[in-house]
Amino acid sequence: MNKTEYLKRLSDELGHMPYGDVKDIIQSIEEHFDEGLSEGRSEDEIAESLGDPKELAAEFKDGAKFNQIMKKRKKMADSFKGPDGRGRIFVIILNAVVGIWAWLILLAAIVAAFMFLAGDLGIAGLLVASLILGKITEFIVPCIFLILTLLCIAVFLIALLILGIKYYGRGLKAYIRWNKHVWNYGLGED
Amino acid sequence: MNSQIKKGILDLCVLALLEKGDSYGYDLAGSLARKVEVADGTVYPILRKLASEGIVSTYLQESQNGPPRKYYHLTDSGRKKLNNEREEWIKFCGEVNEILERETGGKADEQD
Repeated sequence: MNKTEYLKRLSDELGHMPYGDVKDIIQSIEEHFDEGLSEGRSEDEIAESLGDPKELAAEFKDGAKFNQIMKKRKKMADSFKGPDGRGRIFVIILNAVVGIWAWLILLAAIVAAFMFLAGDLGIAGLLVASLILGKITEFIVPCIFLILTLLCIAVFLIALLILGIKYYGRGLKAYIRWNKHVWNYGLGED
Repeated sequence: MNSQIKKGILDLCVLALLEKGDSYGYDLAGSLARKVEVADGTVYPILRKLASEGIVSTYLQESQNGPPRKYYHLTDSGRKKLNNEREEWIKFCGEVNEILERETGGKADEQD
């Protein structure tokens, strides 16, 4: 393969890279050929030792990809390291205004549901005990209905509490993780 | 040698070559390819990556015969990176060698 062929193959393989980058790369490889030629080597020989243009292009493309990732990471790191530290301020304000209160209110709702459940079961238990001990002589049928209703409410509350606690835990975990991320890396695109 | 293992350490080799003094692409390609079994072209993507990371800087210098050459210079951050990673690599190599040599040593003992 001669110099022209090699450079053509390389630039074809570089494909979608920005024009300026391709031009730069081709220029550096062209210089390599010129240096080799001035040492008295042949174009074929230089092309051979440079390696497969397809592989070389792949290495250039890998390098460009790596750079993009590093730039993105640096940008994310800078967004919180920057003079304004926006990520941290955002986390503090969000939690002071909404975050902590919202989670406390939800926690209070769960505690209230527990207390309600305890009361509900307490009354039901009291009624059952009174029935068994024969303290209630009138309204026996409505009383049984009331007990059944209270038990239904209890089952419903227990189911609600199990789901509530489960999702409260998960939600809180995710929320804390997200806060940490914003704290450390700022509000990046990712 | 496995090309994945090689790929990771070549950056460091290029930095080490530049530690001795500024150099240009063709010269670095030759120096690297003489020591390690890689294609001459390999050095160019590495130099490009290092330059865009600010680990090396470039400048043009007139050559006696032909057009000016693009020279590469190791920056302060590059020097720091080289020193850190060189130490890590040497330590790592020592550990790996110890494992590998113990293995082969054991086999040699069995043959005795």
